[in-house]
Amino acid sequence: MKVSLNTLRFYQDTYKWAGDLAPDGIDALVEKIGAQLGAVEEVEDMGAKYRDVIVARVASCENHPDADRLHVCKIDDGGVVEHLERDENGFVQVVCGAPNVREDMFVAWLPPGATVPETYHHEAPFVLEARALRGVVSNGMLASPKELALSDEHDGILEIDTDAKPGESFAKLYQLDDHIIDIENKMFTHRPDCFGFMGVARELAGIQGQKFTSPEWYVTQPEFPKANVEELALEVKNEAPELVPRFTAVTMRNVKVEKSPMWMQTALLRLGSRPINNVVDYTNYIMLLTGQPLHAYDYDKVGTGKLGVRLGHDGEKLNLLNGKEATLTKDDVVITNGEKAIGVGGVMGGADTEVDENTKNIIIECANFDMYAIRRTSMRHGLFTDAVTRFNKGQSPLQNLAVLAKIVDEIRQFAGGKVAGAVVDDNHLPDEMRERGSVHASVVTNTEFVNTRLGLQLSTSEIKTLLENVEFVVNVVNEDLTIKAPFWRTDIEIPEDIVEEIGRLYGYDRLPLVLPKRDTTPAKRNVLLDLKSQVRDVLSRSGANEVLTYSFVHGNLLDRAGQSRDMAFQISNALSPDLQYYRLTVLPSLLDKVHGNIRAGYDEFALFEIGKGHSTEHLNDDGLPIEFETLDLVYAANDKLAKPGAAYYQAQGLLTELTDKLKIRVEFKPLGGELVGQGSKPFDPKRSALVYVKDTGIALGIIGELKPSVRKALKLPVHTAAFSLGLVDVLRCIQKSADGYGYEPLSRYPGTAQDVCFRVPDTVSFAALEACIQPVLDAQQVTARLQAIDIYKAEKSTDKQITFRISMTNYDKTMTSDEADQVISAVIKKAQAELGAVVV
Amino acid sequence: MQSPDIPAVRDALLKRFDSLDDKSSILKAPELRELFGAIKNQPAEKRGEFGAAVNALKVELEQKLADVSEKAQELPPIDVTAPFDMNAPKPQLLPAQNGTVHPLMRELDSVLDIFYRMGFTTVESREIDDEFHMFTALNFPAGHPARDEYDTFVTKQADKNGEPLVAPAHTSIMQHRILKEQGGLLEQGKPIAAVIPGRVFRNEDLDARHEHTFYQFEGIYVDKGIHAGNLLATFKTFLSEYYGQDIQIKSQPFYFPFTEPSFELALSCPFCQGKGCHICSNTGWIELLGMGMIHPNVLKQAGVDPEIYTGFAWGCGLERLVMMKYGIEDIRHFESAKLDFLRQFA
Repeated sequence: MKVSLNTLRFYQDTYKWAGDLAPDGIDALVEKIGAQLGAVEEVEDMGAKYRDVIVARVASCENHPDADRLHVCKIDDGGVVEHLERDENGFVQVVCGAPNVREDMFVAWLPPGATVPETYHHEAPFVLEARALRGVVSNGMLASPKELALSDEHDGILEIDTDAKPGESFAKLYQLDDHIIDIENKMFTHRPDCFGFMGVARELAGIQGQKFTSPEWYVTQPEFPKANVEELALEVKNEAPELVPRFTAVTMRNVKVEKSPMWMQTALLRLGSRPINNVVDYTNYIMLLTGQPLHAYDYDKVGTGKLGVRLGHDGEKLNLLNGKEATLTKDDVVITNGEKAIGVGGVMGGADTEVDENTKNIIIECANFDMYAIRRTSMRHGLFTDAVTRFNKGQSPLQNLAVLAKIVDEIRQFAGGKVAGAVVDDNHLPDEMRERGSVHASVVTNTEFVNTRLGLQLSTSEIKTLLENVEFVVNVVNEDLTIKAPFWRTDIEIPEDIVEEIGRLYGYDRLPLVLPKRDTTPAKRNVLLDLKSQVRDVLSRSGANEVLTYSFVHGNLLDRAGQSRDMAFQISNALSPDLQYYRLTVLPSLLDKVHGNIRAGYDEFALFEIGKGHSTEHLNDDGLPIEFETLDLVYAANDKLAKPGAAYYQAQGLLTELTDKLKIRVEFKPLGGELVGQGSKPFDPKRSALVYVKDTGIALGIIGELKPSVRKALKLPVHTAAFSLGLVDVLRCIQKSADGYGYEPLSRYPGTAQDVCFRVPDTVSFAALEACIQPVLDAQQVTARLQAIDIYKAEKSTDKQITFRISMTNYDKTMTSDEADQVISAVIKKAQAELGAVVV
Repeated sequence: MQSPDIPAVRDALLKRFDSLDDKSSILKAPELRELFGAIKNQPAEKRGEFGAAVNALKVELEQKLADVSEKAQELPPIDVTAPFDMNAPKPQLLPAQNGTVHPLMRELDSVLDIFYRMGFTTVESREIDDEFHMFTALNFPAGHPARDEYDTFVTKQADKNGEPLVAPAHTSIMQHRILKEQGGLLEQGKPIAAVIPGRVFRNEDLDARHEHTFYQFEGIYVDKGIHAGNLLATFKTFLSEYYGQDIQIKSQPFYFPFTEPSFELALSCPFCQGKGCHICSNTGWIELLGMGMIHPNVLKQAGVDPEIYTGFAWGCGLERLVMMKYGIEDIRHFESAKLDFLRQFA
């Protein structure tokens, strides 16, 4: 929302809306707007651009001796520009090529040294000098509207259309010595009134502790002049009252459509709008003043004396004012002439009923539209107009007649039109709203309520004054306040809205900065978060890298990982195909990141992520998907490194490092075939295991290498392995194992160790041998530990050799070798008996 | 001329395939070449059919070859119960100096730690939710623009009310749940104080400054007599602790449906002490987050009486803090899983 300080100043000074606009200067005002109204996007010092432009009178104008199209002018600048060559009359010579230049014309002169305003923001602005044109010296130039950055017009020079003195500042004359404050629109999402500069002026007064007084025409019941010309009949038929709660309109006859006076053109420009013709310009200006969009139709082009409001028909066509054709839908509000569409309601008018220089008779519409319907239509058709910006905030439906009366008055004065019929007011507002004259019912609250929520100690009268400054009506009984919002405010419904109003008007920067008080009860730890931190610690210390990847995946990633799209939640409105589905599990996203890192030159690495998977098959009691949070890790090594052994064991090493540090004892059990769970799908059943907690049988997850098809599809090295652990399950085990698994006291006596190598058939698993031996050790008087140190299999042999180191400690005395031998032989005996193991 | 017998050639080739060492040489078999050569000698009316049959044989052989090479990719079973492979050493962990924690998670840890010390517990957010928690419970009126599909990802699948599920656009989805679950604290005279980290999603085109997936940490504090000054003080205290220096704050009025009043908060630039630098675009201030007093309708819906209790809430993006701290130029790096990026945060 652009606000012109000159425009506001003009109204404050002329109509006494409020006191001094910027008593502490512009910077202080801007600061205050930021703190108490909304963020300021930009402050433009428009005057800088026009500082060098001087008003001059063309004293004489003769043809150039050597050029047909050029004129040699003597101009009178009142002698204000120094160091120039002047003739005996004190006039300055300027050569001008414009066809409209003539004697006694008042023009905008750019003297030597002046910057052409059009080029002011260019990288290399054009600076004028005195130079010869076909042999005749020209001191600067006479400027066209285009060169003055006022319009695209370049057919002739700008003619000053108001009383002016030679030598006067051009900027001052048309109030271009202005500061434009651009306040972010999003600040006013709920403040449609602030999309008119009168609304902003009111707020500026309010936040500076001044009383604002709205003009009479805005706050009193308007009177429309009686038609004293031949009537132009107008019938309005509203078939969509729920989306168009109010539709007012009036006809005017004998309008003279022409260019607006310069002051109006520059006023619009300063407010960020483009001048078109006087009728359109005045309707736009009144919109910029009040926030209420207006639309003027050419009565004769409408042709029927009717305006209809209805929903569009799918496929219905309409030529718009912007030169494009819209294809309407049944969700668009359409204005018709009773037969066909002539405008998109509240969004943009149609080209066929446009007001142009031949227009004599007009209809002016001042209506209200449903803000959400406007927004949807605007998005659907890509139409973003000043009207949309205002209507999609929900303009108050209680100001239509005042605004309509104002525009009628302006057009009578400045375009010569006469009212040609009674005002039509198609009003579907609830009776209560009409009767009370405000959008919502009065709010009842009290001083304490307000103070408690702001941390302030304002008196009732202070609160009353702050509100009355912006024209609320406040009734006080003791400390109870009954507050009626003015009719333009749509946002005041509950006491908290009053709190925000008071806080803002008083100044949030003046609130006491005190921390909330609480007792010393410690805040609860989040144990799952603590676990995650620990996981990150352990794995990063193990050389792994934590990554984050998107929760959404392309469908083909699910395919490549061997997972089913059917169970994945599908995104229906994603901008990119990379975001088609919620991922079922985290692992495929990690696998997807391996190839790129190998290509980037990383030959061996492990990536892990703590993330969530979702499946349509697993819902909680509320019908929402259960969020499975897992720790997933992929280990990969470039095959050219030719790492010995299977990658599986690398991943397993990382997993057991983690579980050891978490003090969870795990065991690995072969998958034994394809599993149903989607998390298992990427894994090669022959080279993967389920991870269980020893002794409790709690399943923690899955570990293994990837299927050949998955490796191929994701360009993974053969030497790749991964695991996925359910974090909630891990947490459960940590809490359970809080005692009992940890420290082992030191013995005062030295221990001993012996290595034993068993030969077993290849079909006997490592775990089977370990499970056979371990109970023997557990049963000993001494403390005995088992550690695998080698597994060997000769080529083409059907046996393998597993070497264990058995470490023994006695807490009561030094172990003798006899005692150690006894332990070892007990172990060997059992392994021989149960598994046919042979000691080598 | 008699046309060659395709079925006979096929039988012969398939038989030979099984005995070949270099399976791919089957495609170079002379019989196959002869069949292709014979196509042009066929009578015109039979040529098409014959050619198709020859080609089908070639495709069949190629498929067989592909199957075999897929088989060759298969690895033999391993003993998954063993701690290392046969004939191989026990694998080592990777070099510790290469390991890293993701910079966002590390930063989140330090943020949560400060709030924990200030008395806030942490409750993590969801990644998929329903319309109720995303909009209704947060006082978004029906028809509110945020509810339409331009900004928020929605799923094809519907919830039990027939509404699509949504990818949360803010961590505020947890407000209702926390207020409900911890409402009992208020009756014991204790505040509800929670900080809520989580992933949020916006349906946006990606560029160096815009991600569709990012992290927020939300906070809520509810008790008797909580006011807007408490909110501003809490965040000023957090920021000063986080940056290890006295931070000034500036609030700007804003609008959110779920808070009233609402603010946007800017902090004095901690990188230049407010003097102006490239991080704060020479303004001395950095606009950081949205916040406000929890709207009474939000409290009411969660069973908290807004006449007795008041509270505040904020939602702050995490990426921005980290990007400013390290001078990270592109937000997309965070979820790229590029080791070039990640290993700089050891």
